[in-house]
Amino acid sequence: MLLRAGGRWALLAALFISNAVAQVPGKAKACAACHGEDGNSSISGTPSIAGQPRIFLENYLIMTREGVRGSEVMQVLLKGVPDAEIIALSNHYAGLKASPLSGSVDRNLFERGRGIAARSRCGSCHLPNYVGRQQMPRLAGQREEFLAEVMLQYRYNRRRGGDTMMSAALYGIPETDFPALAHYFSRLK
Amino acid sequence: MKTKAFALTSAAVLAFTVQSAFSQDKPKPPPAWHQGKPAAMAESKLAPNPGKMTETAAAEVPLGKIKLPKGFAVEVWADKLVGARAMTMNEDQSRMWIGTRGLGRVYEVSNEGGKRTHKVMAEKLTQPTSVYANGALYVFAIDKVLRYDNATRGATGQPVDMTAAFKLPPEQHHNWKYVRMGADKKLYVPFGAPCNICELPTNEYAQIRRYNPDGSGMEVIATGVRNTQGFDWHPKSGELWFTDHGRDWLGDKGPEDELNRLAKPGQNFGFPYCHANKITDPDVAKGKKDACKDVTMPVTTMGPHAAAMGIHFYTGDMFPKEYQGVAFIARKGSWNRTTKFGYDVVTVKAGADGKGAKTAPFMTGFMDPKENSFWGRPAYLAQLKDGSLLVSDEQQGVIYRVSYSAPAKNK
Repeated sequence: MLLRAGGRWALLAALFISNAVAQVPGKAKACAACHGEDGNSSISGTPSIAGQPRIFLENYLIMTREGVRGSEVMQVLLKGVPDAEIIALSNHYAGLKASPLSGSVDRNLFERGRGIAARSRCGSCHLPNYVGRQQMPRLAGQREEFLAEVMLQYRYNRRRGGDTMMSAALYGIPETDFPALAHYFSRLK
Repeated sequence: MKTKAFALTSAAVLAFTVQSAFSQDKPKPPPAWHQGKPAAMAESKLAPNPGKMTETAAAEVPLGKIKLPKGFAVEVWADKLVGARAMTMNEDQSRMWIGTRGLGRVYEVSNEGGKRTHKVMAEKLTQPTSVYANGALYVFAIDKVLRYDNATRGATGQPVDMTAAFKLPPEQHHNWKYVRMGADKKLYVPFGAPCNICELPTNEYAQIRRYNPDGSGMEVIATGVRNTQGFDWHPKSGELWFTDHGRDWLGDKGPEDELNRLAKPGQNFGFPYCHANKITDPDVAKGKKDACKDVTMPVTTMGPHAAAMGIHFYTGDMFPKEYQGVAFIARKGSWNRTTKFGYDVVTVKAGADGKGAKTAPFMTGFMDPKENSFWGRPAYLAQLKDGSLLVSDEQQGVIYRVSYSAPAKNK
């Protein structure tokens, strides 16, 4: 608990310090502390945001500001941030290039994930190359452990503010398939 | 720099671990999302339309695109109400409350001196709606019921938590609620099917119930109702008429949305086995010979994937006589269809017994058929004391006022 609170203050401090460095959009500096300078995260459990669809980012940030979605840390960071800044941030990160970390590929797991994704028709919403569109996020190149955890959250109704369509989409996919799906998506470019 | 990175990483890892530790429950039974998606549509890229979650000011709304019958005019009555859905008003219409879906807010609008101002009166709720009745404002979220007493001049203060009394089931999909109080002083509350098409996980879904205002005396008055998004009582018969969304993934033709009439409590409207136009469901009713037996068919169909939402029987004296008692229905518009459909307000003229129903366009122009695109999504209707009609647009987050003045030569 202490550690968590400490992390939060560090984040706030990061926000404060980065705002002193004038850049457009200003808030992007605060995002960079966790999500990477170029929007590609190297922190476990923290998603990459580069190349995510603009509308996905916009809706996620607004709902998090409203306290109905996202982590506590993100809610604190976004409190009171006006629409205009959220629009600017979303445009900024939607325009950056997703450059996934190079991790080793487990061929078996990868192929298993490919098969499950095809059978489950994940591509009908997230597109066949899983780059996402509109309100539906990019999966290609996302952090593996993040994807696996998000699927679990949907499975157990713990993804606050998430789209109920996604919970419905995961119905019937065994939990034991999630690691393969996560591995497959995370290794796509 | 190093210290900061370490602290951040620890926080992230800890948050991650804490969340994982909670994930110990048993998985849900699988009503299978793609159960209804046939092989022929396996490659389909249809997906729900994204909502707009940022404010739209009145001046940004392309009002000029809206088309109405001759003599009618439209203006933006209230703006910057992101995600505005169903509207409810106090007796003198000086206050209005409007719920949202994903945004989790309930707005309170003050309508005084010909001007509208608003504030967020409740927030952080799971898809809340609201209904004002007899001095109290009831807020219904998917998992919560709150009552604000003495709300006539504004809902302030701590609400009474009524959640336990209403025994709301847990599934969220299709469970945003349209709620009204009937002339019988009961609260009418729908519970949608938590899937596109499925055998219901329990008998708590796909139905309309009514309750005493304190949550007691619950009674299921309609079953087989997949996903009603609006209802009103017929001005002559007092019977409940309600919209209902047809299932997805059976192609562009349907099954169509429905406008239903509840002639007596306990009627079955078909879900999941029988759809509008007596279509037997190809997934869950396979081999069933009499899937439509004892199923009440709609007064009229509302079009394929149209997303028929709010319904309002017109009782004002501003519109021409032929609109008396006519049902206005907002259609939010399709997503599960290759060619967009709906995105308008239509009128349905029918006998009180539901016979001879005729549907006609009323408010259009929110959709561009050439581009297969849309900019607005009419959702709910309300009538002002002067007889004008309010229409909420969930996409733009504004409320339109539609008024009528007779052409000069008839005056």
